This record gives sequence, C-alpha cells and structure tokens, in this order.
Amino acid sequence: MAKILVIDDEAELRELMRLVLTRRGGHQVVLSAGGRDGLKKAFADPPDLAIVDVMMPGMTGYEVCRALRDNPKTASIPIIILTARGQPVDRDAALAAGADEHLVKPVTMAMLMEKVDEMLARRGGGEEVGGTLVMLSLRGGVGVTTLAVNIALLLAQKEAGEVCLADLSPASGHVALYLGLRPEPHWGKLPPDALDPQAIAPYLLRHDSGLWVLAAPYYPLVGRTMEPGTARAVLDALAQRFAALVVDTPSLLDEATMAAVETASDVGLVVTAEPASVQTAIGTLRALKTWDDKLSLILNQVTPGPPPPVSALEKALKRPFAAVVPFDPAQSQAVARRTPLVIGDPDAPLSQALRGLVEGFGG
Amino acid sequence: MEERLGSNWLVADFFTNRYRISGRLDVRHKKLAAQLNDHTTAFLQIENVYISNIETPAEIIASHEVAVLRKGNISAAVVQRQEDGLLREQTYGSYLGTYLRKVFLAVSSYEIEGYLRLSGKLDLRTVLTTGTDTFFPVLDGKMGSAVRPGTVFSGGAILVNKEHVGVFFVEEE
Repeated sequence: MAKILVIDDEAELRELMRLVLTRRGGHQVVLSAGGRDGLKKAFADPPDLAIVDVMMPGMTGYEVCRALRDNPKTASIPIIILTARGQPVDRDAALAAGADEHLVKPVTMAMLMEKVDEMLARRGGGEEVGGTLVMLSLRGGVGVTTLAVNIALLLAQKEAGEVCLADLSPASGHVALYLGLRPEPHWGKLPPDALDPQAIAPYLLRHDSGLWVLAAPYYPLVGRTMEPGTARAVLDALAQRFAALVVDTPSLLDEATMAAVETASDVGLVVTAEPASVQTAIGTLRALKTWDDKLSLILNQVTPGPPPPVSALEKALKRPFAAVVPFDPAQSQAVARRTPLVIGDPDAPLSQALRGLVEGFGG
Repeated sequence: MEERLGSNWLVADFFTNRYRISGRLDVRHKKLAAQLNDHTTAFLQIENVYISNIETPAEIIASHEVAVLRKGNISAAVVQRQEDGLLREQTYGSYLGTYLRKVFLAVSSYEIEGYLRLSGKLDLRTVLTTGTDTFFPVLDGKMGSAVRPGTVFSGGAILVNKEHVGVFFVEEE
C-alpha cells in the first residue's frame, strides 16, 4: 500500500480517484483541492506519489511540481500530471516542471491504475542506483560524452527521472547537442551565490526521457571556466537534489574536474587502444592516485577494426577494465539524429556494454 | 463500455488569433459542435478557463472561473476525442456510406490538416457555403501555428470556423 496525494480542484474527479485508488489499488489517498493546500500536506507528510492537475485556481500544477521538486523532502517523489491540456507542448511543459508522467483527461481508470502501479514499482523496485559518476579522459576524442550521455539515460530509466547529467565543459560541451536539447539556460548563467538546489533548478533542462541536464555554454567561454568554488557548490546541490548524478568533464584537471573527482562516488576513466590515449591514461591514474579506490577504466573502441588487445592494455595500465565498449557504426547516426543509442537501439552493442556497467554503479 | 474518469463536462482548447483558451463546458444537453453552431447566441460560455498566449501556448498567463467567448473570434476548437467534435448528423451510426478525404486548410494564423467525413462527392464550395453551420469538424486534425513554427496542436477533431478559412486544399484521391 502506498500513500498517494491527489491535487485536483474538481471535487467529482477527486472523489472518483479516491474510490479507484483505495478500492482497486488498496492505497491510502490524501485529497487536496488546490496547489497551496496540496503542498502543505506534501511537505508535512511526504507521499509516495502525487497526482496533480494543471488547471487549478491560485496555483497551476506546473508551479506545484516545481515546488515539490525544490523541497528536499519531496524532491524525489514520482509525480503524475493529470490534465485536460493534452498537447505535445503541454507534455513538454509538464516534464520541464518536474513531472514524471503526463496523462490526458479523460483518462480510463485502467490507464490511471496502470501508470500508478508502474511509477510505484519503478520507485520501489529494482536495484538501488545512486551517487555521482564522473566520466573523464584527458585525451580528447575518446567518446567520453557519448558514454556519459548513454549511461545517464540508462540510469534515468532505472531511477524514474531522478537523474541529472552535468556538462562541465567550458568549451561548448556537446551533451545538449547529443540529446537534441537547446543549451539554454546553461551553467554559464548561474548566479555566483546561493547555489542550492532551489537556485539551480531553473537552469536545468529536461529531456523527453525524464533525464535532467545541466548544459554547458553554447559558445566557448573565453579566458574563464567555472568561478572558483562554483563547481563544488553546483555538484553538491545536484547530488543533494538527484538520486544519481553523471558528470561529463572537460579534458583537463581544472578546478571543476577536480571538484567532480573529489565529490564522486565513482570515476570512469575512458581510454582507447590508441597509444597516446593509453599514455594519457597512465599519467591520469598517477595524478589521481589519491582517489584510486573510486577509479574504473572503461575501454572504448571508437574506430572500426579488429577488437582491441584487452589483456595487453590491462597489463600496460596495471588494472582491469570495468567495461569494454565495442565499436558501434550506428553511433555516428545516433548523434546526427539526436537520439542516443540506448534509446534508439537498446540492443546495439554499445547499449548492451553500458547496461552491464550501470548495473554496478553506486551499488 | 469504457469506464472513464470524466463527467458531463467537456474540456476543449479554443484558438483565436492571439490566444489559446482552455475551458470546460457543459455538454449534457448539447454537444460542442451544436453549441458553436447555435445561431440563437453569438457567445459561448465556458468555465474553469485558462489562457495562454499563442506564442507560448503551454504557459498559463491568466485563469478565470467563467468566460464568455464571441464565437466569431474563435478560429478553431480542438478536442481530444473524435466523438466530442462531431456534428449531430455525424453521430449515431452515420458511418455507413461515408468516406474520409484528406484536406488542408489555412485558417487565420493556423494551418490545419486532417480528414473530412463525407457521404457524397466533395465540392469545396459546398463545404464552405452550404448549410447553416459555421463550424465543421476536421477529424484526426493537426494544427500548426504560423506564429510559432514547429508547434503543433492535435486532436481527434478540430472544429473549424468557416468564416476564418482562407485557403482550402483537398488531396488527390
């Protein structure tokens, strides 16, 4: 039995939902006729799931969603927006406000129950994943962003949307591009002070999959990177707000990357079989020796050809690979289509290799 | 019969040149099409009204308990379920002997494509001039906004105001 908060100004519909959710689902239902009252009830005793109408006098459902997400007590509860506004723009607005699902009225009871069960199962079931995963390589062109984007999407599938992907590149990072998102706003516009989860929330983008994104500036920042102290504050705030955080770092050990490494639960160091990449990885392992226990090596084959000599590379790097990602010819098309492989082709070799890696993350 | 969380109220999106107005109306005694085509009044009363600018159609800029819309200003009304947008004579077993014809219309600042359900040969002039109904349904309709390219509103039916139709195309059979 779960506790479900229903916020809807229509008395008849509220009562109907109470009957359906209690009698058919066996859930405990808390009813609220408006946004402010609903928030008061949610903050006093957080529910396991909230069903929120959009068109309500005084406070819209979008505002309710944002307030629930901004409060640490309710930030991670699944939210279903149930609204008569059923256009694609409304779905985008609901997801951007923090909802996990967008259902259009009139909805069948069967459909409502199915969604409620699905959301509760996603929240309660499966292995727990969580923490901060930093993806890193000091050698460019080894596929760090590709892996970070696909891993974050896999985590979002497991964590019902409570996952954020942060792009720390000061030189026009490509996370937003890969996901087909316009990088506006981005972290270059963050205010220098008050970097808590509430302050950062308006700067996050939402992908259709439910993944949240902190995008990098569209144009390269000239002569500057993140302000001193900003990176750590941003990462702390995101880690506080989200169950899992994936960080795509630039190819240098600057203050932002080091803040990410220090706060990470796991660091994925990406390497290819190319000699320069291997040499860079050896140097990186030495530089990050202090954080050795959270470092994992990921071998990524970014060019076609025979499989890389895994054993020889492991010998050179003096540690085993946590994952070996094979070359996937579909990857370049996935970027062009703005549809990462784990979504566009879940059975692709890259998708399968990363799925195994994600299972072990934060465990 | 499908069990729905709904009532005798129908929620529809009404589009004028500048606004998207979402509201509910009582359809117990008169369907939406009949209310829009009722020439005894030039106005349509809706409740629980939420208004968006057409440039930002998901952003609610105002809400009111009750509003009265001048029907002549409504370019189109979008409903999710086809049956909620049909004319009276198109319901209750009137599917026999009818066929669907794909159409494209430019209506004020919108472009609409969908299907007309017809029982005889299509004559464009007849659709626009014959009969007393001002609004006619375009089924499985998609409506693009000229002021915000890329934004599409869709519904099981779009009730289009004949007076606002600027261009009317029919696709080849």
